[in-house]
This record gives sequence, structure tokens and C-alpha cells, in this order.
Amino acid sequence: MASTTTPSNPTPPSLSLPPSQFARLQPHAYLLAHLSPPPASNQPSIRANGRATSQFRVTSANAGSLTHTNGSAVVRIGDTAAVCGVRAEILHTKDIASWSVLQASAEQKFDKSNETGVPESQDEEDKGHIQDLNLLVPNLSLSTGCAPGFTPGAPPSALAQSLSHQILSLLHTSRLVKADDLRIWYQPPNLDSEEFHNAGEGMEVDTEESGGPEREIKAFWVLYIDVMIISLAGNPFDAAWASVLAALRDTKLPKAWWDADNETILCSDDVADAQKLSLRGLPVSSSFCSFESDVAAGWRAVVIPDAEEQKQKKGAQQRWILADPDGYEEGLSQERVSVVVDKENGKTVIVKMEKHGGWTVDSDDLRHLVDVSAQRWDEMKRILDQC
Amino acid sequence: MFGPIASLSQLNRADGSASYKCPATGYSILGAVNAPIELPARRDALKPEEATVEVFVKPGTTTAGVGERYVEGILRSVLGKIVLGREKGFPRRGVVITLAIVGGENVERGDSYLTILPALLHAALLAMISASVPLSMTFSATLLGVTKSGDIVRDPSPTAAKAAVSLHVFAFSSKNHLLLNESEGRFEFDTWELVRERALSICQGVISSDGDVTMDEGTTSASLNGFIRETVEDQVYSDYAYKLDSI
Repeated sequence: MASTTTPSNPTPPSLSLPPSQFARLQPHAYLLAHLSPPPASNQPSIRANGRATSQFRVTSANAGSLTHTNGSAVVRIGDTAAVCGVRAEILHTKDIASWSVLQASAEQKFDKSNETGVPESQDEEDKGHIQDLNLLVPNLSLSTGCAPGFTPGAPPSALAQSLSHQILSLLHTSRLVKADDLRIWYQPPNLDSEEFHNAGEGMEVDTEESGGPEREIKAFWVLYIDVMIISLAGNPFDAAWASVLAALRDTKLPKAWWDADNETILCSDDVADAQKLSLRGLPVSSSFCSFESDVAAGWRAVVIPDAEEQKQKKGAQQRWILADPDGYEEGLSQERVSVVVDKENGKTVIVKMEKHGGWTVDSDDLRHLVDVSAQRWDEMKRILDQC
Repeated sequence: MFGPIASLSQLNRADGSASYKCPATGYSILGAVNAPIELPARRDALKPEEATVEVFVKPGTTTAGVGERYVEGILRSVLGKIVLGREKGFPRRGVVITLAIVGGENVERGDSYLTILPALLHAALLAMISASVPLSMTFSATLLGVTKSGDIVRDPSPTAAKAAVSLHVFAFSSKNHLLLNESEGRFEFDTWELVRERALSICQGVISSDGDVTMDEGTTSASLNGFIRETVEDQVYSDYAYKLDSI
């Protein structure tokens, strides 16, 4: 685009601007010129950052980066980088105010589900414990100097808070973490049987002896999931969620048991005893934004056509759906689409889908975006498996 | 099934207000809009050529938390797109929408905010109409749940929503554009399309085979768009009653 001049031949200051300056002065026209090059120039339609419309940025992930956490990961998507650390703490059931009530109601439910024989009762119980007791506590921080707009050390911005909520809500709806991994059980010794004399410690974790006293939950693991966005160049949610996913896959919980004599929870400091979390599936998030050629379309009241009309004459209002938008592109578009997909036996399942901020994307486009997200899932799985 | 209940201009001090109650989900929202007003000390955040839309959501019993921030962001992006912020008197000024949740179950931390989203959207829209904020289009929104057996349930109660496999919120503009979609849970795209079709028929009324919306007595009141229209018509009728009497 810019003609290179040799330094030996000084030219008078020209009136044309270098591309970088044009990008700042006329950001919309700059991106539009890249996406719709004049037909004579034979250039392909490409984004200002050199990517094709449905191309994601180069992604890398590294797990186990922090030594003092139970699990951690650094994920970098282009220039957006997120660090996530998972710290596990013990929550005694005697510290839960409503524990006896909760347990009673859970038992009732359990009886009912036994009668009807619903196989998913385990899942429901999982959801209940994790959600009611707040066993997952994600927090996202943007006040790290990640971008010029965010002052370091400032209170969490509205964006940071809403991202924290999105992560928490996605952890709950995707039921990623199994509640059974977070429970610390105690099997009271069967004082009547003779086995007790041989059993020694009498606190086997996984014994299913019939006739003995029922085993009970003594404590839970609470996972504090802290995400720091250390560099923000658009699309923070994908990076944050990928880092949470990688950190949870890396998380190891030490073997813990209830010591009846000391009336406390003891943990084994042997790494070999520690167990990894078994996660349900691998939901991968992909975000898109829609860039419209005519910015004025939104506020010229008369020109907004019906949805059907709009479909028929596509040339009237051109728009491009850009995958994994960077900060520059995010500033130029209002309409956002976010799709979280998982694959079960090769079949694509949507875990979450949201779109708001405009009216140009409808079901045909969303169907295409789900396909793009499914391809992204394969890519992300490969990256996360390697890290 | 009972339809929603709404009334306009209940508050005296605000430029516009509306109350909205959805009997099926039990939520009751009171919305107030002030526009256009000067936003103090926000000069740097204001866009020079457009109005700034601010949304505040107040839960009934607690202070606003992260969930409210999230839903405020969604509302801001949906409403900001339909407000004609470049009309005379609006640039550099603010459209401030305050929505108080006055009835219904509390949304706990980490709970899905989708159950209450349609009620918030409707209350905000009616309050903006009451404040005479110029809008490019109106919209209507609905909540649908898909149960384990695959049935699509309209406006599930909070307990039914928790049991549902997937929850979907759709907002359609008066011109059939898809303005907002929020879906969560596990579902496939074909299910989503079925739900979308159902949502469109709830919002716009039953569309007959020749593409026209049937405007019978029964169907207009059943569609949510018709409900919004009727609520505003009733308000205009009572506001101009003195003129009608004098004719």
C-alpha cells in the first residue's frame, strides 16, 4: 500500500499518510478497505491484521506454570494473555450453616430418584452441591495494566465483573467439575463387627460395607479460580475460559481424610497420592463480531428494512463476521456472538450461545458459526492436550 | 395462561417509567428512564456524536453483584443499538435506565440470569417509550426452556428453569430481526432452530402460510409484540382522553 522510498533519494514531504496513521484517523474506513478491496486490484478480502475472516489467532497454552497453586495455566491467544491459578481450600461441613437442612433435603431427593430410577440424579446432586455451597469461586482481574483503558490497582471494572460472572455461570451450566471429586468422605468404623479390630485405623475411604454406619461427607474442597489478564488485545473471554479449562485439567487435589482422633482433616503430602480432577467434556469458547460496512445504518430510522427484505438484497448492507476479534476490530463493531461447543463421540453439542448488540446475524449465520466453532474445538483440544 | 401485566408512567419524578409483571415466572420489575440528561464527570467516557446508554439493575433484597453487571452489559448493548442516539438533543448526553426487581425470586450468585432477562427488557422498553426516547424499532422477548423429554416450555418458573436441560432467551424486533439470543445448557443446533421458531411465533403472533401476521382479536393479544403495542395504546388513550371528550 505504502510506496517505499529509498533513503538516498529524499522526496518532498508527501500528502499521503502511512497506513498506520490512516488506521488511527479513519479506523472504520481502514478496515473496510481491507475487507472490500476494489475489484480491479485483485486482492483477496482480508482483515487489517492479515487474517481471513474465520481465522483465529495463534494460540498457545502452558500448564503448571505456577508452583504454589494446585493447578495453573497460561494461555495466549495472539496478544491476549491470561494466567489462571486454581487454589483448593477445605470447607468443613460443620462450618456450613445450612448443612443439616441441605443434607436432609438431598436425602429426600435421593430417595425419590431411586424410586423413579432416573440415571441423571447424580448430575443433579452435583449441580446442587457445587452451586448451593459455592464450591467454585472464579475471579477475573483486569486491573493489571493489561491495556491502556484499565488503570492498574483500580477496583474491578464492569467488564471484569461481567466476565467473572460469565465464567462462573459457564462452570455451572456446563457442569465441568464433578462434585464427587470435591467431597471428603469419612467411613465411621463398624464397632459391632469383628473386622474393626483388624482394620487398624478404620477410615477406609471407599469401602461400601453393608450393615455398618453410613459414610458421611466431612468436608468439601473449594476451588478458588483466579484469572489475571496480563495483556488484553480483544476477546478476553476466550482466553480467560481457555486458561480456566487448562488450569482445571492441570489441578491435582491432595489425598485428604477425616482423622477421627484429632477431629480434623489431614492431607497427604505425597504427590503420588494426589488425584487429578476428572472433568466432564471440554467446552471450548469461540467469539465473533460482526463488522458492518455502513455504520450509519443503525441510526437512520427510515432505512432499517424488514428481516426478510434484508435477506433478499444482501448487497444493500454488507457485513463480515470476524472470528476472534482483536482490540481494534472490537472497537469497530457492536454485534457480538459467542459460541461454546463441546464434542461427544464426534457429535457437536452447544453448551452456550449468545448474540447481542445488533440485528445482522441470524440463524443461517449462527449455523455456520457453530461449524466454525466445532473446527476450533479440534484445534483447541490439540493445543490443550499438548500443554 | 395469564399474560403479562404492564402499566406506563407510574413514577412522577422520572422522565418515563413502567412497571412490568410476568405472572408465569413471578418477576415484577419497576423501570425508570431519564433522558436526555447530562452525565456528570463522564466527559471522557462519552462519545461525541451519540447518546450514552447507561443501565442499572437493582436486585430486590441485596446490593448489585457480578450477575447484575453482566445483565447490565447485555441490556446496554441491546438497547444502545435501538436508541436513536443521534437525534437532536441526544449526543453527548445520557439515557439512564434504572430497573428495580421488586418481586419474584432472588437470583443467587452464580445463578443463571436468563429467567429474568425478558422481564427486564420489556420493562426497559416500555419505560423508554414512556420517556419518549426516540427508538428505531420496538422488540419483544421471551424465555423458553427445553425439558428432559424435549418439550419446549414457555416462561418456565425458576424451579422449572433449574430442571430444564437448556434455557433460551430470544428478543425479536418489530421487524422480525433477531436482536438478542442467550442460550445455555446442552442442546443441538436443530433444537435451537425449533426453539427460535417457537419464540418468533410467541413474539410476533402466528404467521400464516402467505407470510402475513393474522390480526384476529385472539392472536394479537397472544403475541408479545401486540401486548407491547396495546399497553402503549391504552396509555396514549388515557393521556389524550380530554381531547377525545371534547370532539
